[in-house]
Amino acid sequence: MAAASDVRDMLDLPAEGQPRPAKKQKVVEKRPEGITRELYALLGERAPPIAINENKYKGRPKFMNKLRVRKWCMTPFANKARSDGLVLNHWQREHESTRPPAPEPNQMELDGAKEEGKEETKPTEQEYAFAKYNIKARVPRQYTDEEYNRHLKSDDWSREETDYLMNLVTEYDLRWVIIADRYDYQRHLDLEPDANAIVPAKQYRTMEQMKSRFYYIAATMLAIEHPPSEMSEAEFALHEQMLKYDPDRERDRKDLAALQLNRTADEVREEAMLLEELKRITSNEQNFITERRELYSRLEVPISVGNTAMYQSSQGLSQLLQTLLQADKSKKRRSILGPEGAIPSPVGQTPTQATALGRAETPSTTAATKDTKKGPAAPQAQPAVRTLTPAEEARYGVQHHERLSGGVQFRSDRAQKLTQAKSNVQTQKLASALAELEIPVRLFMPTERVCKDFEKLIQSVNLLLDARKVAEKVESEIRVLEAAKAERERKNAPETGKDPEHPEVKTEADDGANGVLGSTAANATEAPAEGETGQAKAGEAAADTTATETPVKEDGNHKRSASVLSSVSDKSSKRQRR
Amino acid sequence: MNPSNPPQAAEYGGDEVSAIVLDPGYSTTRAGFAGEDAPKSLIPTYYAKYSADGQEKFIFGDDIYVSPRPGLSIHNPIGKDGIVEDWDMAEKVWEHSFTSRLTGAKAGNPFNNGLNDIPAEELPTEMEVESDEKPLADSPLLMTEPAWNPAKAREKTIEIAMEKWGTPAFYLARSGVLAAFASGKASGLVVDIGASNISITPVHDGMTRALFKKNSPQPINITPHYLISSKTAVEAGQPAQVKYKTFAADKAPDATYRALLEERTLSEFKECVVQVWPGPNKLSATGPTGASNEEMARSSPGRPFEFPDGYNQLFGVDRFRVVESLFDVKAAIPDPDSPVPAPTQAQTIPELIKASLGGVDVDIRPHLLANVVVTGGSSLLYGFTDRLNHELMQLFPGPRVRISAPGNTAERRFGSWIGGSILASLGTFHQMWISKKEYDEHGANIVEKRCK
Repeated sequence: MAAASDVRDMLDLPAEGQPRPAKKQKVVEKRPEGITRELYALLGERAPPIAINENKYKGRPKFMNKLRVRKWCMTPFANKARSDGLVLNHWQREHESTRPPAPEPNQMELDGAKEEGKEETKPTEQEYAFAKYNIKARVPRQYTDEEYNRHLKSDDWSREETDYLMNLVTEYDLRWVIIADRYDYQRHLDLEPDANAIVPAKQYRTMEQMKSRFYYIAATMLAIEHPPSEMSEAEFALHEQMLKYDPDRERDRKDLAALQLNRTADEVREEAMLLEELKRITSNEQNFITERRELYSRLEVPISVGNTAMYQSSQGLSQLLQTLLQADKSKKRRSILGPEGAIPSPVGQTPTQATALGRAETPSTTAATKDTKKGPAAPQAQPAVRTLTPAEEARYGVQHHERLSGGVQFRSDRAQKLTQAKSNVQTQKLASALAELEIPVRLFMPTERVCKDFEKLIQSVNLLLDARKVAEKVESEIRVLEAAKAERERKNAPETGKDPEHPEVKTEADDGANGVLGSTAANATEAPAEGETGQAKAGEAAADTTATETPVKEDGNHKRSASVLSSVSDKSSKRQRR
Repeated sequence: MNPSNPPQAAEYGGDEVSAIVLDPGYSTTRAGFAGEDAPKSLIPTYYAKYSADGQEKFIFGDDIYVSPRPGLSIHNPIGKDGIVEDWDMAEKVWEHSFTSRLTGAKAGNPFNNGLNDIPAEELPTEMEVESDEKPLADSPLLMTEPAWNPAKAREKTIEIAMEKWGTPAFYLARSGVLAAFASGKASGLVVDIGASNISITPVHDGMTRALFKKNSPQPINITPHYLISSKTAVEAGQPAQVKYKTFAADKAPDATYRALLEERTLSEFKECVVQVWPGPNKLSATGPTGASNEEMARSSPGRPFEFPDGYNQLFGVDRFRVVESLFDVKAAIPDPDSPVPAPTQAQTIPELIKASLGGVDVDIRPHLLANVVVTGGSSLLYGFTDRLNHELMQLFPGPRVRISAPGNTAERRFGSWIGGSILASLGTFHQMWISKKEYDEHGANIVEKRCK
């Protein structure tokens, strides 16, 4: 505005008269409070925007102008809590105590004159307001000599020292920190100067010793006053508490507290971390439990008894999918699943997530291993396909099956099945062989590797049993043949010529038997070598069996001689029969 | 609320009996009425002595700084450890502290302040009049003392107050406790950084134990103002261009006067320039970024200071180094000329706190650490509380450390006086005064029994 007028002046343009007077009037109207008209006029129309504050005494509020001024005066007072009657002065509102705090003004004027005289005469008589705060801690009554000698004698504490302690306790109102600090008892040696010249070492009393002594005395005095049978409940509780004070335990507690206080920064950090971890675990546990419950409730869907024929067609199936999706949407999704909630098959998702959580939760894991575990676990939760290294596969127990049979089956069942041979006798033999190896028929820990090794073991046991069976058969045949031979020899004694054939056959047979036995033994020893530590025993046992087997074999060396051929031929004949 | 109604006494527990609170220290003596928020009278504890017309004369108060009279010497009745050494003069200085400003008309002996020139013949009569009128006849007196004040000194103090000043009631309180009261705590660990010494006082329920340490800044040779007649401004770091005033040998003041003014300049330097490395870690250590803390300190802008002779200088990292010895004994600047021995490891503030906490019961240690009260004028060094906080956190990582340091300069400087002011204006405190009657009955020894 101002700039425009300046420009007009410079350019000798006629001023626009109309707007200005209007503005002026406005400015005049706005004249602030604290400035006089003359001064304001000097400022002119373009007054700088300054705030003008008038420093003015506010005075009393209007409603109070009617009230009479009440005087303050310096009045002397005596404190009841003092024994010496010291009189100090303080400012007090005149007549304040005798009059109601805010009487009506005219009434005040009336009785004001009367009371002034009275007050002057007895200013100190009213009770000092702060005297009531003069309270002392409750300490037991002073014991008499007789009481002390009967109940309170102690080897550790002399009468004088006990008195000193009790005085200190009274003086410092049971503030034990201070009492322990100020405790400085010197035994008065001058009472018996000629008793002995040895100055006793100054005894150092700990706070626990003092407390223990004091509580003992307090409890005893309490019991003297009221026998425990007559005590009130609170008194009895106090009495019990004081009697049960254990200085050693208290000292131990303080030592522990000092240790706790003087921890290093690392220890403190570790504790904080552990606490944080614990908090996380407990909160996650809650989540985990609710999630598992949800999963169970999903699994426990009642078996449908309705007709399934309508779902046999592809149309029916798609309809079913639609209804299931609808149900899934309408169901309230739990927020904890978060982004994964968007994945349409939450049932499949939950277990993997649960396992991932379960791993991360184990408190014993250190930060380093946790990181490596979390690393693969997190991507696993994602639906993206990811190839695992063999080590990882072993870690997570991922297996690739050639072909899966339908239905659920237990691994232990499969192992169990192996022990069932076709014949009952064979089964029993298997069982006895396992018993000899001290391996339970039902495996304790049917992990995959254990099952594999168990399978191998059973195979070798079967092989062994077969070998034994063959051996037995051969033996019996030998016996029969020997008997026949003896018979023949008796009939035609001088008959010879067949003998040279025998050694050849025998060596062959021996080789074959050795080969078979060797392979079984190797199998048996191989199994424990691969197997877990639990099967080390089995290895020993297997070694035993081979050891027991060897005499049989050696027997066979002399006896079997000719029977091997026949047994082989027997086998072949059997095959032919089949 | 109606402003004309007085607050109910029970509301704030106050009841003022116009008590005077006197807080004597090594460098200044504070006095004022109880219930006020700052001492009305603040005078240096130093006094000046000179002889004129064959008489010994004294100068008290701030006048000592500006009167280089011939033969004038400066003395301090209080030793570096805060204990009174010269009782006669201490009494006079203290008396001056309250008579000059507080008790007004009932001023003490006017000869004491050295301002009145009264002819010698009038002296005896005047003296008699004075002796009747005691300066503190109607004000109870609360005095402060360091926690390590010996019993003898305490008895002497009550003797002076009762017999010389005629106070109706007297109390002697520990300055550490009062500093805790000033920040509204009955228990706490008071770290008092004073002019001549540092004290750590654990306070429990208004009672103390104490440890203390001596410390004083390193002296630097400075030409005080009074020797300078004219000077011209010079560039930073250039030698000063001044004309010195010369005093004739018989007219010159004593060397102690120069020392006083040097120390004054030094404390001005301390207040303006010196700064505590705020931490974390020591100045000599390496910071979190890998750069050493000293480098960091160097990179912060320096502060200029001009000495009385015009010499001025920009102080960079040096201003951190000066006080580093409070925390790190290895950083102490060795000065063989100094009368004060170099600080030992046990005299650094963290060590003092550790030792003093070790002396109290383990149950109250966490509570004390949560209530660390920082007081004393020198604690106003910039960055001091930050550094103290870091040091304590490092020393005690377990318990919570909380430092309460008033931001207000006056509250920090006069902590113990303010505590005394609060205490002496409490209604419940009035039963604790030692009255004249009790003093007469039991003698000076009563102070040991009552002021625990």
